[in-house]
Amino acid sequence: MENNIPLTEALFYILLAVRKPNHGYGIIQEVSEITDGRLILGPGTLYGAINSLLSKNWIKLYSEDKTSRKKKEYLITEEGKKVFYKEVERLEELIQNSKLMEECV
Amino acid sequence: MKKFRLYYDKDAEQNWLQKMSSNGWALKNYFLGIYTFVPCEPDEYIYQIDLLDSCSDEKDFLAFLEDSGVEVVSRWYRWVYLRKKTEDGPFEMYTDIDSKINQYSKIKKFFQTVLILEVICFFIEFSAALTSKSLLYWSFTILIGIIVLVFLRMVWKCQWKIEQLRQEK
Repeated sequence: MENNIPLTEALFYILLAVRKPNHGYGIIQEVSEITDGRLILGPGTLYGAINSLLSKNWIKLYSEDKTSRKKKEYLITEEGKKVFYKEVERLEELIQNSKLMEECV
Repeated sequence: MKKFRLYYDKDAEQNWLQKMSSNGWALKNYFLGIYTFVPCEPDEYIYQIDLLDSCSDEKDFLAFLEDSGVEVVSRWYRWVYLRKKTEDGPFEMYTDIDSKINQYSKIKKFFQTVLILEVICFFIEFSAALTSKSLLYWSFTILIGIIVLVFLRMVWKCQWKIEQLRQEK
């Protein structure tokens, strides 16, 4: 798991967006909203990322209704949550250490 | 309106489709160099061109795109013409460097395969031209030779783009 850290920004936000069941379009929308439009995921990029997250078992397919052609939904797994929090820990360390900059002023 | 164009570079092709859309012409269909346009509001659509993966599940990918609000306008072999309404926000298929590199690698591989086939054709025509000494075979040889150069240039161009992207990393 060590070499998975740091997460790319896209993977970080995708994992966050599937904390509850979410489909492709929902992920794009939510990531764009919570970053104020700064991070727009291209559908091609998102598709590749979802497949790689699925194969790593960090997310799983939540629902696929074949009869009504409903959108596929994805949900984070325990493994995915572990990776996510590991990254949060790293980011917190960065923020914590960044305060050293103020001390020298 | 129908227009005939031969594009090998999908970026140049994409720019042209975008310019047509700005002028109020929306691509409706593509087949063998023939582009069919219908009137639209100026800048109504943003177009993107993509190459489908040869090995992965393309149905799944196309369904995913439609779920994401992307319209598949036309398809020719493994190439797809995609669009989204401009009012629905920015539309770019690949938004990070790794997936962009991935896309150009896919395109490069595609042209490499075609290039190999064309080189084989070239030698078949060339040996036929040598034995028959017929003008027809010679003109085919030259024609295929030109096509080989075009594809060679595309492979080189993709490689150049991949290297540019790698430097940005």
